[in-house]
Amino acid sequence: MSVPGKPSLSLRSVSQVLRTPGLARSITVLLSGALLLLLVVNASTFLMIQRTATLNEQVDSSWLVRRAGRTLLISLQQAESAQRGFLLTGQASFLVDYQTAERMAFTRLDELEDRIAGDTVGEAAIEGLEASIRAKFTEMNATLDASRAGRVGQAITRVRSGRGKALMDDIRRDIDAIDELQGQRVTNYTNASAQSASTTLAVNAIAGLLILLLAGVVAMLVRRYFHDMTEARAVIDRTNAGLEQRVRDRTAALTRANEEVQRFAYIVSHDLRSPLVNVMGFTSELEAAGQTIDRQISRLETVAPDLIETDAVTAVREELPEAIGFIRASTAKMDGLINAILKLSREGRRNLVPETLGMTTLVQGIADSVRHQVDATEGQIVVEPLPDFESDRLSIEQILGNLIDNAVKYLDPSRPGQIVISGEALAGGWVRFSVADNGRGIALRDHERIFELFRRAGRQDTPGEGLGLAFVRNSVRRLGGSIEIESELGKGSTFHLKFPTRLILEKTGDTL
Amino acid sequence: MTNSNPVKIVMVEDDHGHAKLIEKNIRRANISNEIKHFDAGQPALDYLFSAEVLANGPLLILLDLNLPDMSGIDILAEVKRDDRLKRAPVVVLTTTDDKTEIQRCYDLGCNVYITKPVDYESFAAAIRQLGLFLSVMQAPEIE
Repeated sequence: MSVPGKPSLSLRSVSQVLRTPGLARSITVLLSGALLLLLVVNASTFLMIQRTATLNEQVDSSWLVRRAGRTLLISLQQAESAQRGFLLTGQASFLVDYQTAERMAFTRLDELEDRIAGDTVGEAAIEGLEASIRAKFTEMNATLDASRAGRVGQAITRVRSGRGKALMDDIRRDIDAIDELQGQRVTNYTNASAQSASTTLAVNAIAGLLILLLAGVVAMLVRRYFHDMTEARAVIDRTNAGLEQRVRDRTAALTRANEEVQRFAYIVSHDLRSPLVNVMGFTSELEAAGQTIDRQISRLETVAPDLIETDAVTAVREELPEAIGFIRASTAKMDGLINAILKLSREGRRNLVPETLGMTTLVQGIADSVRHQVDATEGQIVVEPLPDFESDRLSIEQILGNLIDNAVKYLDPSRPGQIVISGEALAGGWVRFSVADNGRGIALRDHERIFELFRRAGRQDTPGEGLGLAFVRNSVRRLGGSIEIESELGKGSTFHLKFPTRLILEKTGDTL
Repeated sequence: MTNSNPVKIVMVEDDHGHAKLIEKNIRRANISNEIKHFDAGQPALDYLFSAEVLANGPLLILLDLNLPDMSGIDILAEVKRDDRLKRAPVVVLTTTDDKTEIQRCYDLGCNVYITKPVDYESFAAAIRQLGLFLSVMQAPEIE
């Protein structure tokens, strides 16, 4: 796996999860939905705050316009009061008040114009207002000028004409209109603010509810998931328990079968022996009887040779001993076979005792016991460093002893023998040992045969019962291992043994 | 062996060939005691527990373990459980050389355990030696 490929792989796995319909996808989708809703709530709240701020500013400015309008009106009224006061009393202080009020009025008018700037409706209203104000001041200035010039009656008449009052009414009406407009706007803004607040509230509430709902669904899904998982685990546990029980049953059955096979082999071999005792016994008796007859014939030969028939002599002196010889040889062979079966059966019943084996020393010991035979062929036997492991000492000694004995026994006399025992620890708790020789080798078709009971391969020029390798394979299997052969006729053979690093003794029966 | 109290040999052996060979070889060892042969377990037990045995003095039992109707071990157990018979020497003569079998026989009170060799010479020798052994052995009275 390359490093740059990693993120894309994890991404792929995530998308894989999302694409597969299932709980994970549902939960992811639901949680994404909840997050999205939270985002919406957040955004709407933010918008509302923004909007409220804008509205507040507008309300503020409306209030300022209203205030400016009011103060302008107050200034105008002050000016009018001062004008009336001067007209009534002629005192100069009223004139000063008037001029102050006039300045103030224009300042306030400017202020109002500033505040209202940009508002087309307002600007239009202001124009009319400004004209009325200027007209009012012109009118008031005219009365004051007349009064200062001593024409008080003319001034009074001018006031009486009602033009000043009409102008003042216009001004008041205009300012009231501005005020009303702004008041309307404030109301509108307040309403809008309230509406946006309630909208936000509603959005919040709905989103909150939805989030709660999603959380509920997720919780339900998770609960169901855990429930399903618990259920699945329970099922697996039950299945496992069933499996274990089945394994136990099978093992017990196998054990029984194995025990039966061993018992069978044992009984059969004993029952076979019993008649063999008779065959051998009575053969001997027969031989003894034959010898008795032979002695009788010998005596007759001297006393009355003409009474003897040659057939009888042949029968007693040749055919009988020959027949007895064959019977003897066959029974001896049969006895050997029965003993072999007995040995295998007995080995299968022996209790295994696992212990840590110093393999190099153990194999060196076996090699030393055959070294003189190998030396006689000017060959050599090499034991490489071997890994230690835990197994049954006697079995391992017998297995390797048999293989090494075979290697020595079947060396090719035409070349110096070379036997190498090597081994290594394998991954996964196994060890491997190899016994390699440069002997006569075994033809491929005999590779399986040599492991069978009483079967041998190649030239039958060395004594043997055909028992060794059958015994070896049986023992190897009993130790939980395996044996394989690699061999070419005329070149040599290598036997590979493989064992678990630790021999685990089951209560299983042993194989025969 | 005294003539006044001849030891009777009870042989329980299902194989007639074996029985014949055993008898032959015992005779060859110059043992002339009466040999009573049974080829099954039950008749042998019936005989051993009959009144006749009581009246006829000491006996020695030659026992094979593989019998058609029961195991020789059962006979051995019966004999050794009986107050009168338990002193009778029992020689187990069988083909089985299984360790546990041998142990069981001695545990039950068998006096000698002999494995029948397949090789006839050894077999004959073993039986003759048994005969020699019998000729010097003192068997207790059955009371």
